[in-house]
Amino acid sequence: MSEVPQTVIKMRGISKRFNGLVANDNIDFDLRRGEIHALLGENGAGKTTLMNILSGMYQPDEGEIYVKGKEVKITSPEDSLNLGIGMVYQHLSLVPTLSVLENILLGTSKRFFLPKKHTEKKFEETTKHYGLSVDPDTEICQLSAGEQQRVEIVKLFYRGSEVLVLDEPTSVLAPLEVEDFFKVLKNVTKAGKSVIFITHKLEEAIRISDRITVLRQGEKVGEIDLKAVAGKKEGEPLGEEIVRMMFKDEEAKFVEGIKKAPKKTLDRAVLTLEGVTAKNDRGVEALRRVSFSLHRGEVLGIAGVDGNGQKELAEVIVGQHKVSSGKIVLNQSDITNKSVKFINERGVFYVTEDRIEEGCVSNLSLADNAILRCYKKEPFSKRGMLLNLEAIKEYGNELIKNFSIKAPNAEALVRTLSGGNIQKLILAREFSQKPIVLVCNKPTHGLDVMTTQFIRNEIRTQSARGVSVLLISSDLDEIMEVSDRIGVLFKGELMDILPNKGTTKEEMGRLMLGLTDKGK
Amino acid sequence: MKLKKIILPAIGPIFAILAALMVGGVILFIMGLNPVRAYSELFKLGMGTYLGITESLKKMAPLLIMSAGLIIVFRAGIWNIGGDGQFLIGAIFVGGIAPLLVNEFPPYLYFSILGLVGFFGGAMWVVIPAMLKAKYQINEIIITMMMNFVALNFTAYLVKGPLIAHPGRYPQTIILPLEKRLPLIPFTEIHIGLIVGLIAIILVHYFVRRTTWGYEFRLLGENKKAAFYAGLNIKKVTILAMLISGGFAGLAGANDVLGIKGSFQGEWNPGYAFSAIPLVFLARFNGFAVIPLAYFFSFLAIGGEFMSRAANVPVFFVHVIEALMLIFFGLSEYIQKKGKLFWKF
Amino acid sequence: MEILRAIFSEPFFVILLGGTLTASTPIILAAIGENFVEAGGTLNLGLEGMMLIGAFTAFVAALFTQNIYWGLLCGMGAGVLVALVFGYLVIYLKINQIVAGLGIHLFGLGFTSLLFRILFGREFPIVRGITSKTAIPYLSQIPYIGSIFNQHIITYLALALLPIAWWVLYKTNFGLNVRAVGENPVAADAHGVKVYRTRYVTVILEGILAGLGGAFLSICDLSFFVDNMTQGGGFIAIAIVMLVKWNPSRIFYGAFLFGIFHSLTFGLQIAGLAVPREFILMLPYVAVIAVLCILARNTRLPGAFCLPYERE
Repeated sequence: MSEVPQTVIKMRGISKRFNGLVANDNIDFDLRRGEIHALLGENGAGKTTLMNILSGMYQPDEGEIYVKGKEVKITSPEDSLNLGIGMVYQHLSLVPTLSVLENILLGTSKRFFLPKKHTEKKFEETTKHYGLSVDPDTEICQLSAGEQQRVEIVKLFYRGSEVLVLDEPTSVLAPLEVEDFFKVLKNVTKAGKSVIFITHKLEEAIRISDRITVLRQGEKVGEIDLKAVAGKKEGEPLGEEIVRMMFKDEEAKFVEGIKKAPKKTLDRAVLTLEGVTAKNDRGVEALRRVSFSLHRGEVLGIAGVDGNGQKELAEVIVGQHKVSSGKIVLNQSDITNKSVKFINERGVFYVTEDRIEEGCVSNLSLADNAILRCYKKEPFSKRGMLLNLEAIKEYGNELIKNFSIKAPNAEALVRTLSGGNIQKLILAREFSQKPIVLVCNKPTHGLDVMTTQFIRNEIRTQSARGVSVLLISSDLDEIMEVSDRIGVLFKGELMDILPNKGTTKEEMGRLMLGLTDKGK
Repeated sequence: MKLKKIILPAIGPIFAILAALMVGGVILFIMGLNPVRAYSELFKLGMGTYLGITESLKKMAPLLIMSAGLIIVFRAGIWNIGGDGQFLIGAIFVGGIAPLLVNEFPPYLYFSILGLVGFFGGAMWVVIPAMLKAKYQINEIIITMMMNFVALNFTAYLVKGPLIAHPGRYPQTIILPLEKRLPLIPFTEIHIGLIVGLIAIILVHYFVRRTTWGYEFRLLGENKKAAFYAGLNIKKVTILAMLISGGFAGLAGANDVLGIKGSFQGEWNPGYAFSAIPLVFLARFNGFAVIPLAYFFSFLAIGGEFMSRAANVPVFFVHVIEALMLIFFGLSEYIQKKGKLFWKF
Repeated sequence: MEILRAIFSEPFFVILLGGTLTASTPIILAAIGENFVEAGGTLNLGLEGMMLIGAFTAFVAALFTQNIYWGLLCGMGAGVLVALVFGYLVIYLKINQIVAGLGIHLFGLGFTSLLFRILFGREFPIVRGITSKTAIPYLSQIPYIGSIFNQHIITYLALALLPIAWWVLYKTNFGLNVRAVGENPVAADAHGVKVYRTRYVTVILEGILAGLGGAFLSICDLSFFVDNMTQGGGFIAIAIVMLVKWNPSRIFYGAFLFGIFHSLTFGLQIAGLAVPREFILMLPYVAVIAVLCILARNTRLPGAFCLPYERE
């Protein structure tokens, strides 16, 4: 007979508000021992907030938490760790300049001295168990994203965590690596640990978890016990039921999107890269002899696991990064290694992935941000010297209207806007100045469904007008939905360019891991 | 509505001033001095007498000019704390060159040229820190501070050596006769340096907010990454901002030599930058707010001098008050944003 | 010819080497303190003010008690008090570190000079005869370089603290916490490291060391107090810390460089050379700038340098 599963964690009536925005609204959640419980929901649904409360980063405005039956107050990450709850954050919280061993030891001891020898042994045991074979003295910044993730997991077990909370862990992994990762999770739960898995990807949740809790706009809208459902035969397919929970009916259809009919013939080439090689900030080669052409009105998707040269590719094209060899040509003029200004003046615009740190200036107004690229042109300034504040404000309001940006007016400071609206502002700014080439790096990352669809529609609209779009993204679905052709970047090499029609995810997944038909 | 824009931001500085004066009074009391007497002398002499007001207004000029330069460079996020050194170099340039040109040009041309000389001197002194920062990212705080000490000693050397007016006597450059110094504002005893200062600070105020170059400085100061992303030539803008601020500091030096002292004397270091930096912060980088604050600072300095003779309070007290103002200002900023004072460790 | 003979004379060397170590001592102490503070992500431009206040307090205490230990203790205590205030302003109130630091510097200048005038008026008291150098037997008798081994205890202490500081920063839990907090305080917090507390401790540590350094200057080195007696030493310490990229084991070289130029003034005078005094006084600062030019290009600052931490 199977034993009654113990409830390891119980959260009751959790509510949390930020400046009037309700992030969590009276949520109940529990976790059984040895289970993998997915917390599913769109971006902005409140999943990360709920788990941040569990991990002690935030305090709930209302509600209680019970760990192993006892009520607890978790006021800091330390409390949470002491209760055996360990969280792996989406933005990996390792200190890059410290070594693997130092990161694992960080915060584990109250004493002044570092118990190094004893730790190294324990480190060896733990890492072998979880399939991580790294020299403990390597600096974190030298490891791949997947390896870093495993260091974080090892660290939690080193600290004796019984509960693992993982925030969007597969976002940094290629399809095959995701398989390995799921195997690790299964091993972990067999050993008696419990896992909470935050994700917005439905298929993953269905595949790996035992139970799924669905959140939408701060509320819990449903819970599904997959083991119980497995037996049933009738009823609607599981996926659709969950989708219905996550969205209203109309939105569900909207989510499917209108798949673009990919182009069959290509117009003339607008942007050409020939043998472009570049080093990244640490001196390691990030791009290797990349060559391709972007044609007029085409959307060329560049797929690949994050960290394989995407950022460098975007930056060499727009002029933010130097090329060590090769050539970049825009409409017959050589733009290799020219300045950002030079390239931008010739019609190349860039939607950066780093929207808050780089794409906008949070302490300036929306209007001041809107003219970031064009402040020297009429009508925003007279003869490039005196700013025309009225015209600037008007332009800001225009962008607000055309792109449905939720902001009180053009004078609102950008830091008061939500992530989605900031991205819309960046898009509005880059798309509205008659671009010839648009470089978009992860334009919909972390945004909710409505905004994501809006942005994808905008991209299609631009390409229909003849603008050439280079869409760099780690979201395969997005690439397949919008692109005419798809290229895959692996370790700085452009593996292949395939037409969108007829290419499967599996093929792309293999390219993303460097497996071609010829090699490996 | 417009009034609200003026009153709310003013709470911080006003609180800071009052709190600083209060704490200063406590310090005086502990030191065995009579704060009431000291402060009443301060206000009476500084604000109540014609001499006090005039001297305060005179002393405002270098503060205003220096603040103008600091507003630009601080808004660009660059910490040029070498204002005193740049001041001295501008001053010594003028001290050395002015006597040579004294009879060559008509007055307004003469003063304009010397103003430029001062500006050039100050800017020149900031070239090295500017290039080092632009090219090699070397932190400007340290370099500009070091240059202060170098300037101090270098000018002392010059004034005791090559530029000395009468070897063997008190070290100073050739003294300009009274008629050849900056003309006075009609009906007053204040030289026109004050007007120059007022023009400078108001110009800079609008420059930063209304011109494209001002926009570029603000962009650089708010978010360097975004500035690069937007296509700004970071090196050029950095060097430009620093040169302008150095130039203004040098111009302030020219002002003092031509208007007040008539020569560069001995081991001179009035340390205006030391007052201008907190001043500019308290004014929240707003040119118009700088004006009353500059008056207050110079009135404190002048009153401090009087106070030291009348009520036996040493002049350094003024520095203490300035430092306290800065600290209380920071405190008030924080309270306005957060509303509480203590945290758990 | 005269010059060469002067430079290679023994008195010159004695002054130069011995004097250098003495002159470097306050800077070494201050630099160690600043090293920890900056490794933890804070910049303290008020270091000079801390040293001045330490120097003044120590001098007054030593004068009234005629006891060197009380002097040093009070100097350190004063340093701690200033550190407590500065730490509060910058870590908890999150005031702009540069502004707060300059404010402390300004305060230190004004306050010490103010108190000095109030206490002593126009007099110029000297603390005499309460400190002495400790000579290491045999080694201190070596001609020319023997002066290196004839120093105050504090100097030996400062030198000994250098490798200890290195060890603490790189080999202990505390040092690890400091480095983590300076590089990525969000991650450190998530790991349960107390960010505010760690930073505060570094600042207090600096207060002790800076106070001691200032005390040494006024009691042991010079035996008197004058306005602004640190003469930019605090800023030199900050420059050195940036130069050695926050690795305490290299602080000695930077401090020594400064000390040599500083002692050059006296040394050249003893040797009977008539170089303009101001020129030599300029040299230490020029030397620091030159070395920064050569060695400190494109230095990568700790990730959270000068940024206050807020748990969002």
